[in-house]
Amino acid sequence: MSTDNEIIRRSRDSPAEFAALYDRHASVIYRYAARRAGDFVADDVMSETFLVAFERRETFDPGREDARPWLFGIATNLLRRHHRAEARMLSALAKSAPREATADSSDSIAAQLDAAAATARIAGVLKGMPGIDRETLLLYAWADLSYEQIADAMDVPVGTVRSRLNRARKTLRTGLGTQLEESENEHGRLAVAPRDA
Amino acid sequence: MDDLQLLREMRNETGTPAPATLARGRRELLSRIGGETAMLPDGGTLRRRKVTRRLLLASAAAAVLVGALVAADVVIPGAKPGATAEAAEVLSKAAAAAIKTSDPVVGPGQYLKVETKAVYGATVSRANGTMVSWLETQDGQLYVPADTSGEWVWNRERRVPTTFFGEESKAEAQRHVSSLNGGAGPQLEGIIRGPGGAFYGSAQQILGMPLLEAVKTLPREPRRLLDLIYEKTKGQGPSPESQALMTIADSLRIGVVPADLRAAMYKAAALIPGVVVADEQATLDGRKGVALGVYWAEGKLRQDIIVDPVTGFMIGERTMHLVAMGGIPANTASGWTSVKTSVVDSAP
Repeated sequence: MSTDNEIIRRSRDSPAEFAALYDRHASVIYRYAARRAGDFVADDVMSETFLVAFERRETFDPGREDARPWLFGIATNLLRRHHRAEARMLSALAKSAPREATADSSDSIAAQLDAAAATARIAGVLKGMPGIDRETLLLYAWADLSYEQIADAMDVPVGTVRSRLNRARKTLRTGLGTQLEESENEHGRLAVAPRDA
Repeated sequence: MDDLQLLREMRNETGTPAPATLARGRRELLSRIGGETAMLPDGGTLRRRKVTRRLLLASAAAAVLVGALVAADVVIPGAKPGATAEAAEVLSKAAAAAIKTSDPVVGPGQYLKVETKAVYGATVSRANGTMVSWLETQDGQLYVPADTSGEWVWNRERRVPTTFFGEESKAEAQRHVSSLNGGAGPQLEGIIRGPGGAFYGSAQQILGMPLLEAVKTLPREPRRLLDLIYEKTKGQGPSPESQALMTIADSLRIGVVPADLRAAMYKAAALIPGVVVADEQATLDGRKGVALGVYWAEGKLRQDIIVDPVTGFMIGERTMHLVAMGGIPANTASGWTSVKTSVVDSAP
């Protein structure tokens, strides 16, 4: 199987090669865009991402084997055009009442209600967050990019990614505040105190 | 659960794209790639070429060429503007038939069963620089309850490679399948259920509207419907005309558009400049109909809808590769969907 940079390199001479990059990554780009701004926007962002990538393929750093950070960077830019759709979706989620519990165990009902309440609260926090912080946070949590990959995608130093992520997570935790009792574990990550303790 | 875990789980139910969506994105990319390959050394830009093509279509519409059907095999398709009058007649007949043929009646407790066979192009790029393609097929059955707000059931069979273009193509397809079975990629198969057709948490959409709402509210007046399609798909696709026909194909492919809206969509298609009768005797999945199509990518590709002029049902849609490209030989349907509806008493 060819690496992404090999595909892109060959597509300079035989452009049709580029379709292989689409087959490999279109689904993840779609899913990321759909999570951020809904299916209708995702349709558009997915196809546009690859059209833009194709036209700018000369700018791809041939030293990188994985094209995902580059593609997510393009998708992130395109999603900015759809900030209204994203804001509408986050508003709707923030207002959404906990869904009706259907499970038979009372524990899982409680868990479902909590998850729904948490979703509403997170949506509210994401909506109020500066765009650049939200993009960074969601590239990390929803696109599963590493700090270095986000730095590539957004064309900023890794240190900037780190500080944006810290800021975004702090905002998120503050917003979730009453729900999560915070306690630092030995890795410096947050853990939740047992609810019934 | 920490903040990141909660965030990761949020909207985690969002699905991967529907096969039709993936196929459409791929068509758009291939079209752009095709356009670039065709670019002249004197450097005509994309914009310029698009304008030229539009002018060609406009002048053709004024002249209404005769005998375009016969010419189709001889002339480079992109240079041949549409026999729109003929296509319009077929579409208008199909619209009339759609209204006359009543939709199947789904009684209480019954389901409208929509069977689809979808064929996709798959391409891999090999280490030696060549591209190899094959076609994969996926069958699906959608069960829509009589009460459309009830639970819809969608079964998707496994997607399997079915058509190969030579030995290399077969070998690459097999390698691809075994890598998927090894857990390298998601397999979209099996039964999923969704209240009111909301699979993966949101309703299926036509033109950015939830399906059921769209079916109720979309205009039945063809011009208004087409204007709405242009407006909703602005800036998408290789050209407004091909995007409009693809949007109509995508809407009808779901199989639940009622006769009156189907008729309006045919009449709207008849208003799209450049739509031609591409094949009077088209066969798709063993069924015969008339193929109406629109060319794009300088005539290298054509999007067709295939209509049964007697019943007014859409048999299916297809994308034709008219020149060899990316490992797919010339004059090959590089992707198609056939649609068949019936009424059944139960769903799985």
